[in-house]
Amino acid sequence: MGTTTAERPATTSPAPEPERRARKRFRWTTATSYTVLSVLALVYVLPFLVQLANSFKTDAAATADPLDLVPSPVTTGSYVQLFTGLPFGLAATNSVVVALSVTAGRVFFSSLAGYALARLRFRGSSLVMAAFLAVIAVPPVVLLIPKFLVLNQLGIYNSYAGLIIPLMADAAGVFIMRNFFASIPTSVEEAAKLDGAGAFRTFWSVVLPMARPAVITITILSFQASWNELSHFIVASNSPDLITLTKLVAQLASGGQGQSNQYPLKLAAALLMTVPVAVLFFAFQKKIMSTAEGAVKE
Amino acid sequence: MSRTRTRSLAVAASLASATLLLSACGGSGFDDAPAAGGTGSGSAGTGQLQVLIGSSGQAETAAVTEAVSAWSQESGTQATVTAASDLAQELSQGFAAQTPPDVFYVSADLFNSYAASGALEPYGDQLSNADDFYPVLKEAFTRDGQLYCAPKDFSTLALVINTDLWAQAGLTDADVPTTWDQLRTVAQRLTANGVTGLSTSAEYSRLGAFMAEAGGGLVTDGEATADSQQNVEALQYVQSLMADGSYAFAADLGAGWGGEAFGTGKAAMTIEGNWLVGAMASDYPDVQYRVVELPAGPAGKGTLTFTNCWGIAADSQNKEAAVALVEDLTSSDQQLAFARGFGVMPSLQSAAQPFSQEFPAQAAFLAGADYATAVPNAEGVSDVITDLNSQLEGLEGGDPQAVLQRTQTNLEAALQSSGS
Amino acid sequence: MAALTTPSAAAPPTPRRRSGQARRREAGAGWLFTAPALALVLLFIALPVLMALWVSITDWRGRGSPFEPGVPVVGLDNYRQLLAGGGLPTQDLGTALRNNLWYVLLVVPTQTVVALLLATAVNDRLLRGRGFFRTAFYFPSVTSSVAITVLFLFLFGASGAVNQVLGWLGVNGPNWFADPDGVLHLLFGVVGVDTAPALLAGHGLLGVSWWDWLAGPSVAMSALIIMAVFTTSGTFMLLFLAALQNIAGEVSEAATMDGANAWQRFVFVTVPMLRPTLFTVLTLGLVGTWQVFDQIYTLGNQGGPAKTTVTPAFLSYTTSFTNGQWGQGAAIAFILFAIIIVLTLVQRAVLRER
Repeated sequence: MGTTTAERPATTSPAPEPERRARKRFRWTTATSYTVLSVLALVYVLPFLVQLANSFKTDAAATADPLDLVPSPVTTGSYVQLFTGLPFGLAATNSVVVALSVTAGRVFFSSLAGYALARLRFRGSSLVMAAFLAVIAVPPVVLLIPKFLVLNQLGIYNSYAGLIIPLMADAAGVFIMRNFFASIPTSVEEAAKLDGAGAFRTFWSVVLPMARPAVITITILSFQASWNELSHFIVASNSPDLITLTKLVAQLASGGQGQSNQYPLKLAAALLMTVPVAVLFFAFQKKIMSTAEGAVKE
Repeated sequence: MSRTRTRSLAVAASLASATLLLSACGGSGFDDAPAAGGTGSGSAGTGQLQVLIGSSGQAETAAVTEAVSAWSQESGTQATVTAASDLAQELSQGFAAQTPPDVFYVSADLFNSYAASGALEPYGDQLSNADDFYPVLKEAFTRDGQLYCAPKDFSTLALVINTDLWAQAGLTDADVPTTWDQLRTVAQRLTANGVTGLSTSAEYSRLGAFMAEAGGGLVTDGEATADSQQNVEALQYVQSLMADGSYAFAADLGAGWGGEAFGTGKAAMTIEGNWLVGAMASDYPDVQYRVVELPAGPAGKGTLTFTNCWGIAADSQNKEAAVALVEDLTSSDQQLAFARGFGVMPSLQSAAQPFSQEFPAQAAFLAGADYATAVPNAEGVSDVITDLNSQLEGLEGGDPQAVLQRTQTNLEAALQSSGS
Repeated sequence: MAALTTPSAAAPPTPRRRSGQARRREAGAGWLFTAPALALVLLFIALPVLMALWVSITDWRGRGSPFEPGVPVVGLDNYRQLLAGGGLPTQDLGTALRNNLWYVLLVVPTQTVVALLLATAVNDRLLRGRGFFRTAFYFPSVTSSVAITVLFLFLFGASGAVNQVLGWLGVNGPNWFADPDGVLHLLFGVVGVDTAPALLAGHGLLGVSWWDWLAGPSVAMSALIIMAVFTTSGTFMLLFLAALQNIAGEVSEAATMDGANAWQRFVFVTVPMLRPTLFTVLTLGLVGTWQVFDQIYTLGNQGGPAKTTVTPAFLSYTTSFTNGQWGQGAAIAFILFAIIIVLTLVQRAVLRER
């Protein structure tokens, strides 16, 4: 996990063929594959361009010419309405608070537990491991109803705690961290231990800094997951003060009969809520590309 | 990183987990769970009322908020109005948490389910104006002989005509249809140039009007009568209009509901209720239209009526004030104000006269009150209607008899298990 | 992610000479370190499962706590009513399972194949703009299902972008999200079979006739299927990409020896080597596609048109949170749970054998 030889080809020599034939064939296949790939890329990218363009159109223009990539007239009406007519600012603030808290919690708790499971010897560790493994198999959707019951029972229904704490439960993160810690050499910690440092100190100031790649992985995964979460927020609160972006946009989209389609408004909302994860994606693009790779390779 | 800092982090971590486990074992029950703000928060002892409404839009929210705050000033009891984004879900979460809003909208189809669970306070006998409500509306909110909640207002279905398209097709006032045959004729005349004569959404709450006009209905005297010959006749009539090409479901015209198909000029006529008036004013202010009574079918005139009531939670800490608020909100004056605000009709018979004076254009809706039938709302029936709706979407090429037979079976099962 | 299914166990190091005290301290730290994560998981995953199991054998109507003495316990009645009752609950569950089954059957293979092909394409060392292509294909995966559903609602509108493009090609596109017709029924209609043969109409499973099981996904569901492939193929492309780079050396060696052409190399050398990744992708796909909820909620038409986009997850939600039939809703959730577990085990057995 985490070792990235990704971009480096293992063997470089191409098949030994007469050079001329090779070049000719190469050209032909390249042209085809570039064409096919470009069309495919267009299919993947165009929807987002259409979204961007239409969010700056009027309702009528968006309905009439959805494919027109240059809005005319250009209007920022949708964006203005998001912040004046809808609680978009509140929802965005809540989403940020929730996603950051969940991410911080997951990173801290998962790396603590992952480290313990990889390095510390204690009676029952295999039992703990089995517990984590077992809950990974539980599909989140099955938990919709009972999560609401638990939150209620704990008295944290309709509170930030109710939105945040349950999402911190992350068995997968524990495994990612455990596997990472298992893959790095023990010598440094051994030295720290001989120095007489306690387990937590060793973990915090020696081990965790070495785990940066894995921590970044979990950070990205956690932020993306909690930012994009919907069902938990639906069952964890009904207070308008605790609305999050996913909930707001979903309700906006499914919104009532008797209103016009408001496509530009909905598209603008969906676009804005994608911005943070998109930024995260572009900032850590290299890392993300190797995150998945690392997961496979371990 | 200093040593003390790291240690305190470790302590914090263990504390956090201990707290979680403790609170799990301690099982602080549902009862004493304090909700942090918002619609769910019952207002124990403070004398404050939470009002949760399922609003049709800005106009309704504003009108209700205004009415409630006026009452607050007068009575000295604070009250907050919140518009739910998903009323049913928010209410059921509130009931389970035992922190429901004090006063809230209850739709007729969910009424029996709420009442059966004990979530609703039956306060009908405390209302001074109880006798003034239309009987058909009171019936919808009566269970075991008890009136649970006050009908908030009501709407009926009527035929809505785009007058410009009407004139273009060479039709005059004399052509306004009063029978099914005439409806067929005008719908055909209006179908041209990409305009469909008549469009509604594909659901029982529109097509049910045809059933009523044919003398049918889903439930008669507590018995399931979905597969009656009258209902078959009604659906076959609709099918024949579709075969003519003069009737299409809104979805098939690319519209979300009949009003959108009508407002965008894709259909020249639609069958909708009072709410259409508000939607037309805000979304399609340029479309000229008039509202007439639905044409009579083989069994005479018929239409459907829809209503909500003001529910009061059994778990409310402040029922007395809640009843006082509801009494104020259902008073004749207040209901007329709501009619001005968002186009509903007062649920009080005594308010009919002033209403028709103030809104002559809506006379057809009000006239429907005399012969309207309510949508059946015994427990479990709303699921049957949902299922019927899913069948009606395929009506054009479907078999009405089979559709109604299926509904009959489901309806019998539902009525049997609800024991009514 | 694959790491989860195949935990590699580098055993904890065996320290030299440990005093009893040091061992005790280490054990204490071990429990202390795992406690928060364990508590969270037990409290918000394990405990809820048990609570739901309880609710599924009661007829709790959603007022107050389901653990109060007055709540009627009905045993397996909820399950019986859903699986063998034959009434509306059975029909609804049957319809939801039918819808979701077609979704799974179409999404899982398609996204796997698309992801593999994309990965192979962007793995080409000689490809210019590799970074761009990878980014383009992966980007839809980072967006939330809510945002992407909003976008697809717009693209697949009656006179939306997709239908305009189809219009250029001379095709009259359907009103996607409002069209309840089953795709297979439409195809049968093309060859002249548009009413059910008596044999198929008269019998069925879970209150849904065989003819209706064979309807295929509705046009509306098809739009969701396209959306699922669009959003997930990027994620799985990354998994395949990583695996491809791992085996790059071996593949070209094999190819050099055989003189096989590119396609043969791909089918007979590359794909077999990718089996572990294939397994991961199929498992993740299978588990994910049985849990469709966000999209249906965002569509906002309650699983319409004509119930053809209702999924078991969504049905469980509405049964509980809208209709107040909490016992039945919880039972649906457990039936779904069982399906996911069984299918995962079956798939595991099938792929392991070869």
